[in-house]
Amino acid sequence: MFAILATLALAAFLAPSLTRWAGRRCGWILALAPGAALAYLVSRLPAVIDGETFDATVSWVPALDVSLDLRLDGLSMVFGLLITAMGVATMIYAAAYIGDDQRLGRLNATLLAFMLAMLGVVLADDVITLFVAWELTGITSYLLIGYDNHKFQARRAALQALLVTGLGGLVLLVGLTMLSWIAGTTQMSAMSAAAGSVQGSPLYGVVLAMVLVGAFTKSAQFPFHFWLPGAMAAPTPVSAFLHSATMVKAGVYLLARMQPVLGGTEAWHTTLGVVGATTMLLGAVMAFPQRDLKKILAYTTVSALGMLTMLIGIGTSAALVAAMAYVVVHALYKGPLFHVAGIIDHETGTRELSSLGGLRRTMPITAAIAAMAALSMAAVPPLLGAYAKQLVHAAEGEATAAAGYIYWTALATGIVTTSVAVMLAVLPFWRAGRETPKQPHEAPISLWLGAGLLATLALLLGPVAGTTFRPLVDAAARVAGASPSELHEETSLGLASTSHAAEPASAGALEGAADQAHADADHGAEHGEHGSGTLLKLVTIATGVLLVWRRDALLAAVAPVGGLARFGPEAVYRLSVIGLKSFSGVLTRFIQNGYLRSYIFVVLLATIVLAGYPLFSDRAPLPPLAVLDIRLYEGLIVMAMLMATLFATGTDSRLAAVVALGLIGIGVAINFMIMGGPDLAMTQLAIETLSVLLFVFILHRLPRFEHFTSLAERRRDLVLSLMVGAFFTSLVWGIATEGGESALSPYFAEHSLSEGKGHNVVNVILVDFRGLDTMGEITVLAVAALGVFGLMRLNLDKEKKNGKVA
Amino acid sequence: MARWPEMESVILSRATRLMMPVLIVFSVFLLLRGHNAPGGGFVGGLIASTAFALLAISDSVDVARQTLRIEPRRVMGFGLLVALSAGLIGLLSGGSFFEGVWPGIKLPVIGKLGTPMLFDIGVFFVVVGFTLTVVFTLLTEED
Amino acid sequence: MENLLVLPIVIPLVTAGFCLLASRRIRLQRSLSLFGMVALTIATLALFDAVRSEGILVIQAGAWPAPYGITLVADRLSAMMLLLSAIAGLAVTAYAGWSVGERRERFHFYPLLHVLLLGISGSFLTGDLFNLYVCFEVMLMASFVLLCLGGERAQLEGGVKYVILNLISSAIFLTATGLLYGAVGTLNMADLSVRIAQYENREVINSLAMLFLVAFGLKAALFPFAFWLPASYHTPPFAVSAIFAGLLTKVGVYALLRVFTMLFVGDPDFTHTVIGILAAASMVFGALAALSQKDIRRVFAFQIMSTVGFMALGIALGTPLAIAAVVFYLAQDVILKCNLFMLGGVADKLRGSGNLDKLGGFWKTKPFFSILFLISLLTLAGVPPLPGFWPKLALLRSTIETGEGVLVAAVVLAAFLTLFSSIRIWSGGIWRDAPPPDLEPTDLAEREKDARWMMVPAAGLSGLLLAYALAAGPVFDYAEAAADQLLNPQVYVQAVLGEGN
Repeated sequence: MFAILATLALAAFLAPSLTRWAGRRCGWILALAPGAALAYLVSRLPAVIDGETFDATVSWVPALDVSLDLRLDGLSMVFGLLITAMGVATMIYAAAYIGDDQRLGRLNATLLAFMLAMLGVVLADDVITLFVAWELTGITSYLLIGYDNHKFQARRAALQALLVTGLGGLVLLVGLTMLSWIAGTTQMSAMSAAAGSVQGSPLYGVVLAMVLVGAFTKSAQFPFHFWLPGAMAAPTPVSAFLHSATMVKAGVYLLARMQPVLGGTEAWHTTLGVVGATTMLLGAVMAFPQRDLKKILAYTTVSALGMLTMLIGIGTSAALVAAMAYVVVHALYKGPLFHVAGIIDHETGTRELSSLGGLRRTMPITAAIAAMAALSMAAVPPLLGAYAKQLVHAAEGEATAAAGYIYWTALATGIVTTSVAVMLAVLPFWRAGRETPKQPHEAPISLWLGAGLLATLALLLGPVAGTTFRPLVDAAARVAGASPSELHEETSLGLASTSHAAEPASAGALEGAADQAHADADHGAEHGEHGSGTLLKLVTIATGVLLVWRRDALLAAVAPVGGLARFGPEAVYRLSVIGLKSFSGVLTRFIQNGYLRSYIFVVLLATIVLAGYPLFSDRAPLPPLAVLDIRLYEGLIVMAMLMATLFATGTDSRLAAVVALGLIGIGVAINFMIMGGPDLAMTQLAIETLSVLLFVFILHRLPRFEHFTSLAERRRDLVLSLMVGAFFTSLVWGIATEGGESALSPYFAEHSLSEGKGHNVVNVILVDFRGLDTMGEITVLAVAALGVFGLMRLNLDKEKKNGKVA
Repeated sequence: MARWPEMESVILSRATRLMMPVLIVFSVFLLLRGHNAPGGGFVGGLIASTAFALLAISDSVDVARQTLRIEPRRVMGFGLLVALSAGLIGLLSGGSFFEGVWPGIKLPVIGKLGTPMLFDIGVFFVVVGFTLTVVFTLLTEED
Repeated sequence: MENLLVLPIVIPLVTAGFCLLASRRIRLQRSLSLFGMVALTIATLALFDAVRSEGILVIQAGAWPAPYGITLVADRLSAMMLLLSAIAGLAVTAYAGWSVGERRERFHFYPLLHVLLLGISGSFLTGDLFNLYVCFEVMLMASFVLLCLGGERAQLEGGVKYVILNLISSAIFLTATGLLYGAVGTLNMADLSVRIAQYENREVINSLAMLFLVAFGLKAALFPFAFWLPASYHTPPFAVSAIFAGLLTKVGVYALLRVFTMLFVGDPDFTHTVIGILAAASMVFGALAALSQKDIRRVFAFQIMSTVGFMALGIALGTPLAIAAVVFYLAQDVILKCNLFMLGGVADKLRGSGNLDKLGGFWKTKPFFSILFLISLLTLAGVPPLPGFWPKLALLRSTIETGEGVLVAAVVLAAFLTLFSSIRIWSGGIWRDAPPPDLEPTDLAEREKDARWMMVPAAGLSGLLLAYALAAGPVFDYAEAAADQLLNPQVYVQAVLGEGN
């Protein structure tokens, strides 16, 4: 398994140079990589259908319990086949579609990287591995949607898709982390054993919500669906592959994978049922008024994704089988339809439905492919679509939660989907010819081959679906929680009685709802009888066709409702993004306002609040402060220093302030003297003298002293300074009261002469005991001198003005 | 030098020239005896640089530069390397980094010779280089 | 082996000294500089290897026994940070020759750069709180001069804010150190660790802990002490911003990590809760503020604040996993931030501006450069499997395990906003088509040539980021072992003070 991932990685890495070397034929070569993966999967197919699984593991980040665990089972097989088969078709199609563009190499590389990521999603057993691959699909999708990077629309659509799925991904990560924490394992295959404890946990609701947000954003469920139509800014091969067949199904895949762990509860049935059904109907209805072929396809994809979510939400064995079947069927008709849309765009220069017509003459092969795909979409027998639709209908009858809602939305969706299928396959080809920007020709084989194969597959598999297609679907459904015994029974009984055989999938979790389910299942059976089913189907198709026939009138009638879009989720998204940016601007200008004095104020205030809290909070009254033993002359020196400080802060004359600071320094020097450090006193005096002198040298260069703050602000600052002073004083006082012993001073005194070979302890400290500090300090001095030199001498602004090259 | 015309007096200039050797000798004295009595490389360096600073003020920066001969910034670099080498000698002679090495030579007035003194000499040069870089820079008008 | 410890101090100092002696000869200084950085990288690599195989290395400067002299110590965290600093220093030195301009080089750019490295290395090596202060001063002075070198108006404006706020931090640091010395009578960190635990007045210790939090938090650019960073990082040459972004705030984080795993661990309910609150605020505010910035370096500057918040969160959580996450974060962030600014510098070189409105058009004409940028931006955004993802994952997991919903929400929100602002740079600065730059053709050709050379170190660092992605397992193992050393300070204490303790 790692070999196929490595093959794709290598192919992605080599794609740019290969593309340059092979030119337009590169598609055929690069298709070998997914082709090899497909061959591998097919070779494992019989074993997987028999219920075998294949595991491979490589340790990755053991400290985080993350390992690259891969597992090939029925569910991964279905999606894996889809990805690789569509992958082959896409690589061939993309190179032909894009043609000579310097970015084709990068596109190929990104597509292959996406395939790698997508296979990673469906093969991963470890939740983190899954997430890594999940995010990679998001990033590659971002890059692919924004392929036309010079267009604002493309960049915006790419960003929108990334932000929606990115936020969903992060939430999913939290959910998965919590889930693996509760379940005690990071392996999804091992989690179903812990389903009981997961669903019994008080955090179950949170975990479920987070995983669902992740899945819903990825699979474009309402209200996150809006990014998907936007993603149609991508080149058509990308839309066909990522935003129809594979990536958007990652959410559905995850739901299916999680069904045994999180599914079977009331919350699961209701949320998935309602969200899925709503998305299904909304997608179909939104598809109807679109004019751009790709937009129409995008909304029908949304609709299909909704249906899949709904089916997994229903969660019975039959529903899971239907979901898996429909995953494949959808890819088999939607992929070709996208390719057809791309061919039309490529050959005629437009994708506007209203400007297309009569193409069956010039593009007969394309017309045939479109017809086959659309028939499958409209569930017309004997195509595979009809088989899947039957399963779906039967499953819909088994819904336990929101059953009525599901029934009616499904009915309405069926009608609209039929009309959309007609719009896609009939109007451009069979109505009277229209003027297009380019003279249409039949597309080259590299453009229609993939679509043709997929559509033909749907046609061939249809009549023999029960024996060829069904076992694989069953294998997938079993992984998703369908019970093997029911599946077996059902398959042997044949399709007509599907609904009778249905039982709730996760029997344990569904005990309460079981009776209700039976009742509903019986109810469904009545509808599912051959006669009424066929009648309903005919009515659906007839209504659908009628809708297309009266489309313009209908659209005109409902036009005012379109204004509602202004309040839709996409509008919410746009407003949030704009709001976020302006909030960021306002907040930043408020906090990072450019005024040094405000920064200082905040820093000092925060300092005394944080450091003062432990001292002055109620939990610890300050110990009584010692009355310090102060001599008169010490007091006088301190008084003088205080006065100098006050003067320095108050005066408007810089020179006076400098002199006052010098006085403070001299006070410190006298203190050193009293404490017995003549060296320090001498150095301090020399430094004070030098700094006053240096100040004098530069003061005349400064502009006139000015007050920039108001009196009120200065009063506020005064209060803060006093508080800071008071805080530090009390802290010093408190520590002086406690009176800790220094471990160092006695040692220095004792060893200075004997080992430091010097009588002058201070000097021995400076050059020996703590020589390293001195080394640092002289370095600071040296740098300070370089600073003075550089700042005084180098003024690039001035040099630029004077024309010297900087 | 336009800022300090009143200082361009002949008396100050003469006095400085007389004082300079005294100041320099005194600074070296302070440096060397620092290990045992008040003094050391820092104060010594300040005094030594005062000599050149006075010359720069009383005469001109150019004259002071010529008298010094070496660019003060290079003096700093030299000082840093000397101070560091004192630390390295300790290491290279088998001891620890900055471990004092005392070859056992004792001179009158100065006392024992050892790497800590070498270190102090480095400090001395850095301080001289620092002060003179700053003073010369501040005294030279921008063009 | 222990003697390896002095090399990260000696090599930059010697290099700086010789560069000063060669002050007039720029080409010589360039070669000396590069040579010095290569030597430093090799030395720190050897040290890294020694610490990994032999455990904590200690040397007592002047052979004075601890706690009386100054101790140099390297544990896994220090050794890693030293190596990373050397790598960043090497990259920036190689980069500087093509980007800072000869005028600045003439005014002692190289000696200053090496002194900065000296201060940084010293901070990672020293086992003495006052010596740490000295190293901070070395760093501060060197960084201030580098920041202002060139004397452009914007530089000075940023420089003043930078230096004054950092001086406040220094003053608080020095005061707190003095007071701590007054209270427990020692400066050696290992000794402090022992004595603080024995000190009875917990309130005083908590108060001092907060002072250190402010002092180091300001250096680390933690909210609300980070004003200096967005005020200054966009003003100097890109080479200077790059080394600052790679290393300066990380020294602050390192210091926080040291003192809040070794010294102030007695009352985490108070101290670590405060850190957690500041961390969350930094994460979210930094990431949010980055969204509305136009100057590419201001975007990165606010993102640094956000990243520091993530690291501080790990310190606040204090679990082995969280601390390991911080170490991993440091390991990749030094390289990443340095690289982002270097790449930004290439863009600036090619377009004559670092403003997002004027950048763009690179995807078509400079695919290699664009991909380098993409790697770094996605790492910043925490996109897996790039190295930015793993520490975030570990932090998220640790946060979830504490059950603090608010912190989890803050992590998610900050991660999302970071993704948004990173992608904004990609979309607006690289992808978008831009009008041709307003530069003379001859000037442009010159700039193209410089930019090619500037991309060499950036490509090297990008390669390192990819290497991290591939070696996430071993790197995390290392981080876990480093966290283990931090959380069991008795090993460190014993190594420094000897067997008796």
